[in-house]
Amino acid sequence: MPDFLIADKFIVIDWPVVVQVVLLGFIGGVLSGFIGSGGAFFMTPGMMNAGVPGSIAVASNITHKFGKAMIGAKRHGEMGHVDKRLAVLMLITAAAGISLAAWVMVLMGAKGKGGSRSAGADLYISVVFVVVLALVSLSMLRDIIRSRRDVEAKPSTRIVDFLNKLRLYPLIHFKVADVKVSLWVVLVCGLATGYLAGTIGVGGFIGVPAMIYVFGIPSQVAAGTELFLAQFMGAWGAMNYCYRGMVDIRLVLLLYAGSLVGIHLGAYGTKVVREVIIRLVTSGIILICVLSRAVAIPVYLRQLGYLDYAPSLDAYFNTASKVLLYASGISGTLIILVFVMRAYFQRRRIQSSLLATRGG
Amino acid sequence: MQIVCISRGTLAGGRALAEKLAAKLGYDCLSREELTEAATRAGIPVGKLEMAVVRRRPLDERLALEKDRYQAFVTATLCERALKGSIVYHGRTGHLVLPGLQHVLRVRVIQDPERRVEMVMERLGLDRAKALRYLEQVDEDRQRWVRTLYGTDWNDPGQYDLVVNLSNLVVDNAAAGLVHMSRLPEFQVTPVVQRTLQDLLLAARCRLQLGSDQRTRDMDVRVTAQDGVVTVTYLPRDAQRQELLPAALEGVEGIASILCTMASTNVLWIQERFDPANPALDQLIDVAGKWNAAVEMLQLTGEEVEPERAAAEPSPPAPAPAADGGILDDAQAPASEDENLAAVRQRLIEAGRAGSVRRVPASSARQVLNALDRSAPYNLVVIGEVFCDKNHAAQTRLTAEMVGMLAENLRVPVVEQKDLKAQFLFSPGQWVRMLVLGLLAATMFLLVFTHQLPVGEFLVKPGTSNRILAVLAVVAFVPAFAFCYGTFTRLLLRLLRFE
Repeated sequence: MPDFLIADKFIVIDWPVVVQVVLLGFIGGVLSGFIGSGGAFFMTPGMMNAGVPGSIAVASNITHKFGKAMIGAKRHGEMGHVDKRLAVLMLITAAAGISLAAWVMVLMGAKGKGGSRSAGADLYISVVFVVVLALVSLSMLRDIIRSRRDVEAKPSTRIVDFLNKLRLYPLIHFKVADVKVSLWVVLVCGLATGYLAGTIGVGGFIGVPAMIYVFGIPSQVAAGTELFLAQFMGAWGAMNYCYRGMVDIRLVLLLYAGSLVGIHLGAYGTKVVREVIIRLVTSGIILICVLSRAVAIPVYLRQLGYLDYAPSLDAYFNTASKVLLYASGISGTLIILVFVMRAYFQRRRIQSSLLATRGG
Repeated sequence: MQIVCISRGTLAGGRALAEKLAAKLGYDCLSREELTEAATRAGIPVGKLEMAVVRRRPLDERLALEKDRYQAFVTATLCERALKGSIVYHGRTGHLVLPGLQHVLRVRVIQDPERRVEMVMERLGLDRAKALRYLEQVDEDRQRWVRTLYGTDWNDPGQYDLVVNLSNLVVDNAAAGLVHMSRLPEFQVTPVVQRTLQDLLLAARCRLQLGSDQRTRDMDVRVTAQDGVVTVTYLPRDAQRQELLPAALEGVEGIASILCTMASTNVLWIQERFDPANPALDQLIDVAGKWNAAVEMLQLTGEEVEPERAAAEPSPPAPAPAADGGILDDAQAPASEDENLAAVRQRLIEAGRAGSVRRVPASSARQVLNALDRSAPYNLVVIGEVFCDKNHAAQTRLTAEMVGMLAENLRVPVVEQKDLKAQFLFSPGQWVRMLVLGLLAATMFLLVFTHQLPVGEFLVKPGTSNRILAVLAVVAFVPAFAFCYGTFTRLLLRLLRFE
């Protein structure tokens, strides 16, 4: 159990914690740059495994995401990948979603007592995490299998077709994304994105697919708009959590130390790796992360008194959870880095040979 | 030989007008439906492609390749038919299939919405509300199709020479008007246009061949052609299979030579005069090398031969293809200019960054926009010396306008040549920026970690005013640190050529 610097909130950060959090940031950054959204699915449980209480981990992560999204949104904006109108409309309900998430988090945190200080919130975060990300990764895997069988390579569009038929007025035309979507659908998706961003810090995993598959907008515009949205959601989330005294600024800085390097390497990877491999690696990493969090759930259940087993077994569950988490992140990052370095050196070799030819 | 492209929507009267015009002119009439059927017979899943677009499904890798094949098929068929004789094509995107081709009469046909609703009600037996909804849906689908295939707005009137509104005009009279218009010298095909058509045909045939060859069918390639010189750009992931490309193209007639360039994307370089001594060339090669990009050159030649003169004098016969590096020449530019362009291209070939070369008779941002192949994946547009015949102030203003218009329409960074180094390469100013921001980030970091306890207490201190103060501090501090450290890492990785 880690020592606490202030009350039961901010842990004492020693060198092992520094290394772990920077590494988490780096891995999260690589995955975030490679997958296009997320990274938090690794960083949040990773910090929890390092001894950071769940609510502090989520709050610090969402604050970290806020600055990162600002930089990403600026770059996407320069390329015309941001539909500000869509983002502003989604933001209205996303803000409500985040506030709701922060409120529920405080409520859940209040359930823990004494030694189970943050067990209520941890259990709640873990369950939401497992359910949402299991759905995401399994549907990605299903798509890959389908595309290999040469059937439809993309997820079902039944929702889009259904909404198209319904035509829930008012319909709004978004010029940059070039789609017409019902205002109500946009607001509901904004609420879900905000709620998940506020709960597990991975709103992008819902926001981006929702924009692509429910609104039907191009994936680049979806990613750009989500980042634009994320900077405001992040700011709102950071303000909410900060007001409740949950943001540990030291963790935010340590995450940045790794993530802002990793994100460039991950983005480079998307240029040199096949789409099917990107999706396979992504879904594999998420699935193992889900397993890692699922393994930790019995610990919280025991702390809350819902399960009865010897407390000494907690160490095994925690270790298994840590091993799975780090195995998924490290192996995924290594695979991506192998592709990145191979492409980097291949390009350098080609350039050298071309220069040699010119010289000769 | 003449080409008329009529862009039509559903129940706008475009088909009837095209058929009437073809009959009056005695030209062949080709419809989109005929093309689609032929493409389907050739094994291209057009229906699947349409469904994906209509149902708003993002195209996966395989479908994106089929989209390329379909576009190549349409281009090849249109070019083949046009080279055999005059043609009237009617469909959705005929005006976009032959980008940059002058002397094509591009017509858009529209109809009074009320009349269209009545026609739907009559033909499909629907009530008014359903007919309206049907038309709304169909128009949306068409628009999405055009956007997906060519990345442009179907309703932009700037893409057409003429928009015909059939609300108050009978088809016969509209056709008669178009007959007169088609006789204008601006719409007579010149030998240069014929050569461009041959190039487009060759490129499209090569793309189709690569798409049907088992060895290369899953390679994501872009093919262009100039006077028999075929340029194929392929992705870095296919570097080990690049020797298969010339082998797969062996059977295609008309290829003088094949140039294969590894490129993830394209950089478009637009200017009126290319010069191998221009330092921007080295900068561009540097940027293209870092991004794995091919550099496409678009030379603006100003206005074309005067129409009156062209009408009075018969067009000279097309000169035999010369070893000019694939450069077209409408108005016989001085030999030295060609040599400069060829020298620039040679430098790009040596650097492994050569894309296609095109000359277009454009003198405004709109004309440049219409001449671009909108389906090409550009990552950067660099504008060099344009509007050279204007005075400095006008040149600056018009260049800035061109930058703005291209950026708005292409949705990629568009920069002036003079800003290339500052924005995309490592200049002394960026060294200073990197070091200053790095130092600032390090200072912020150290300040927090050397004052952990007071910082922590400040963040959790009770009381509304304290809480608000903490929120303001975090909201100001976090983006400032992210900006300083993020810019530092970006510049550092750029310095290490990791972009």
